[in-house]
Amino acid sequence: MSGHFIERARYTCAQGGAAATVTALPGGIPILHSPSGCAGNFAWTQNGGAGLQVGGYCGTLAIPSSSIQEHDVVFGGDKRLREQIENTLKVMDGGIYAVLTSCVTEVIGDDIKSVVADFREQGVPIIGAETGGFKGNSYLGYDLVLQALFRDFLERDIEKKKKRVNLWGVIPNYDPFWRGNLEEVRRLLEKFGLEVNSFFLADDTLDGIRQAGAASLNIVVSQAYGVGAAKLFEELHGTPYLSLPLPVGASASESFLRAVGKAAGVSAKRTNAVIGAEKKRYYRYLEPLTDCYNDLDLQRYAVVVGDANYATSLTRSLADDLGWLPELTVCTDPLKDEEQERIAGQLQRLESNYPTKLVFETDGSQIIGHLREQWPATGNGKYQNDFGPAFVLGSSLDRELALEIGAPHLSVSFPVANRAVLDRGYTGFRGGLRLIEDLVGVIVAGR
Amino acid sequence: MSHIDLKTAPRREDRLGACIAHGGTICEMAGAKGKKSCLQNDGERAFTQGSICLLLPALAMLNTLPDNVVLQHSAVGCGSCTHSQNANVRFGSAARQGRAKDGVWLSTAMNETDVITGGEEKLEQAIIEADRRYQPFSITVVSGCVPGIIGDDIDGVVQRIQPEVKARLLPVHCEGFKTKIWATAYDAVYHGIGRTLLRGGKQEETADGLSPFKGLERLPSTVNLMNVSSMGQVDELELERLLRTLTLDVNVFPVFAHPESMVKATQASLSISTCPTHDDYFLSYLEERFGVPALIQHMPIGIENTGLWLRDVAARFGIEQQAEQIIAQEESELRAALAEFRPLFEGKKVFISAGEFRALATARLLEEIGFTVVGIRSFHHDHFAEVEYRKLAASSREDYVIDIANVQPFEEANLLRRLKPDLFLGHANGNGTAAKLGIPTHVIYHTGLAYIGYKGVYEIARRLHRQLKNPVYNRKLSENVRLPYRDEWYGANPFTYINQGGAA
Repeated sequence: MSGHFIERARYTCAQGGAAATVTALPGGIPILHSPSGCAGNFAWTQNGGAGLQVGGYCGTLAIPSSSIQEHDVVFGGDKRLREQIENTLKVMDGGIYAVLTSCVTEVIGDDIKSVVADFREQGVPIIGAETGGFKGNSYLGYDLVLQALFRDFLERDIEKKKKRVNLWGVIPNYDPFWRGNLEEVRRLLEKFGLEVNSFFLADDTLDGIRQAGAASLNIVVSQAYGVGAAKLFEELHGTPYLSLPLPVGASASESFLRAVGKAAGVSAKRTNAVIGAEKKRYYRYLEPLTDCYNDLDLQRYAVVVGDANYATSLTRSLADDLGWLPELTVCTDPLKDEEQERIAGQLQRLESNYPTKLVFETDGSQIIGHLREQWPATGNGKYQNDFGPAFVLGSSLDRELALEIGAPHLSVSFPVANRAVLDRGYTGFRGGLRLIEDLVGVIVAGR
Repeated sequence: MSHIDLKTAPRREDRLGACIAHGGTICEMAGAKGKKSCLQNDGERAFTQGSICLLLPALAMLNTLPDNVVLQHSAVGCGSCTHSQNANVRFGSAARQGRAKDGVWLSTAMNETDVITGGEEKLEQAIIEADRRYQPFSITVVSGCVPGIIGDDIDGVVQRIQPEVKARLLPVHCEGFKTKIWATAYDAVYHGIGRTLLRGGKQEETADGLSPFKGLERLPSTVNLMNVSSMGQVDELELERLLRTLTLDVNVFPVFAHPESMVKATQASLSISTCPTHDDYFLSYLEERFGVPALIQHMPIGIENTGLWLRDVAARFGIEQQAEQIIAQEESELRAALAEFRPLFEGKKVFISAGEFRALATARLLEEIGFTVVGIRSFHHDHFAEVEYRKLAASSREDYVIDIANVQPFEEANLLRRLKPDLFLGHANGNGTAAKLGIPTHVIYHTGLAYIGYKGVYEIARRLHRQLKNPVYNRKLSENVRLPYRDEWYGANPFTYINQGGAA
């Protein structure tokens, strides 16, 4: 890791994450308070990294932007922002509008809070978040939009409903598999008889979101993303939260359901019944792979590279579901110490007890060095215990690593430039099957 | 004094009077109804949608340079567009160097502390570390908005650090809020190349007025072919093929050219632009300083334009006769080959949207293969394109709308609902609006596809024919999704939000 730069950052800035998040809300219209180029930068970022998903109802270059210029930088951009919001309301047909600030408008000190508050007082469904790029990356932007939503859009002081839960922790597009990942977790929670609001799926509505304060429990399927928003939610609406690792695969999904079941007051009987039914189907589908899995010798060493959600969750599924050997796990997010500790904790509880080495490294080109420390390169002798057969499970930027060590590769974590993603996901039992299909599919592609 | 002697390239608003906000018509733009007046007095929109800034096209060029590291000095998001440009870098390097290679792009990821205390020291350290880690030939230090506002002096940093590092350091200024004409990007990149790679060194005057660097041979039958980042290798090969038939040797600059090779541009006897919007800044410099004359009109897209482009080149070498023969031969073969597609195109209405020169040249091409142009949206306007508007005004039977807009899909949605074209050609990430309205769409540039020269005409026709044979994807999409605009907007004047600049 360099102390002075980040190599090929696998995310964009807070405003970019925020814009993707607002676009994913039902009827969500972002309003960027920024120079003209920010929207285009995000469009091209998603085009290259989000599994070919660009846009949505109001995304990319359709996003309203104050497109401030040099004279606004000198004289302030508040006036331009007011004009832009007024006209946005005339042109754009939205259910919720969200003003998102940029580096420039924050450095010049534009006061968006009062501008947004004025419109809200007139009954406009509008929120605002200070998402200047220098504050952090796209994951922070996601958290900041959720915070703004919880603070200024949700109804306050509404009665709690016992079976109602909110679900978040997966950032739209910057997790290219966001829809599938949320849908499968939602499906599992519904098996528990819970009513789920998940903000960003086709089944979610703005009315449901407005009533999110009625939830008795918030479930954040991340140990890093959206946790700040969960704390704020608890403060404002009194709903406790569970922050759990993204449940990828059968083993993690079982742990996930047990943890949620306990916190949501689901009876042990029901929890066992749901897990039992899911596992039964999972193994029924997995069973026919067994001959080929053995005949083709499909067990692999692995290097797993991913963001704070994926790195350890993919490693867990490889180690605990498939019996693979993930020697090295690389988390590419710049994280705070306490976040790193939480994420590391997940790997200390592997069912298989497989001792993977976890490193936090933002720069992809340095991963080979970490691998060589873990598994030194062997010579050319007759008997060599090489690092192989191996697999690289990461982002499309890890193809060079895969080439270097002669391993096949699958892109899962952002950027995913070389796959098209619509509603595929890797969470839950079903996602576990998808992961196996995709991993094995790559290995046998030349068959 | 040359612009290159200045610290930064001037904005195109100032240098060329370029504009981005105007609603007009082809006849007006061509001067038939009185000279267009938005130059220097550009309008402003009271409602705008996001677009791009000069950073994106600048990076699209810089990311392709072999053996170069792009070091972005800004907040972490600036330049994340490289994720999509990297696909182009991979395909382009596979085609040209035989191996798909990722670009190397870094960000100083300026944080809140840097904003307060300044980011120069961080940038210095980043340059030193990048030089050691990647050992590149060059490092392009690209500034974004934040250093532009807090006053980081990237030129000063580069000057201070250059003696400590092996890589050549090229500062490139891309502070997005400073210009609304993103074509300023090309000037910013060429400014860096000119100042750093083509600056020092003694020159020798030669008998024919060229002044290459001392020790560098001048090459009488070599031309510089100026490519653009939206051109794929397939298009370069077509133009090289045509130039070689004129017995010329061709060097291609600057996209995918090794920074060390840029100096060869000073040895050629002619520079040929493929996009006047792209190249005027650099070609003027090559002409003024090194005596390399430039051809900077016509984009070789379409039958007529490719012929005009070739004739211009041939005239410089006194081989007009040869060119006429080649053009006649090429055109006759091409027209015969197009015959099978024409019936499907004849009379179909088309709307075109892209960077000004590309949009206009492509419009002419589409007319040539049988379509009727009903509207064009140019991303900006400057005087280089006037001749193109005149060509289109002359060839069109009826006047039609010209929207000068830095994207602004809301204006486009309004126009498309009125005009109901049968086909839409748009920029990358710019076809969604038309697609959601159910109009068949095709991308107006893609580096994997052919667009340029005679081959390009044929390949575009072939692709459009394919697309029009089954346009069901967009039709079904339009039946099931809607655009994010209020119904009332479609009844309003599409140019409602343009506050026109100064009058004529």
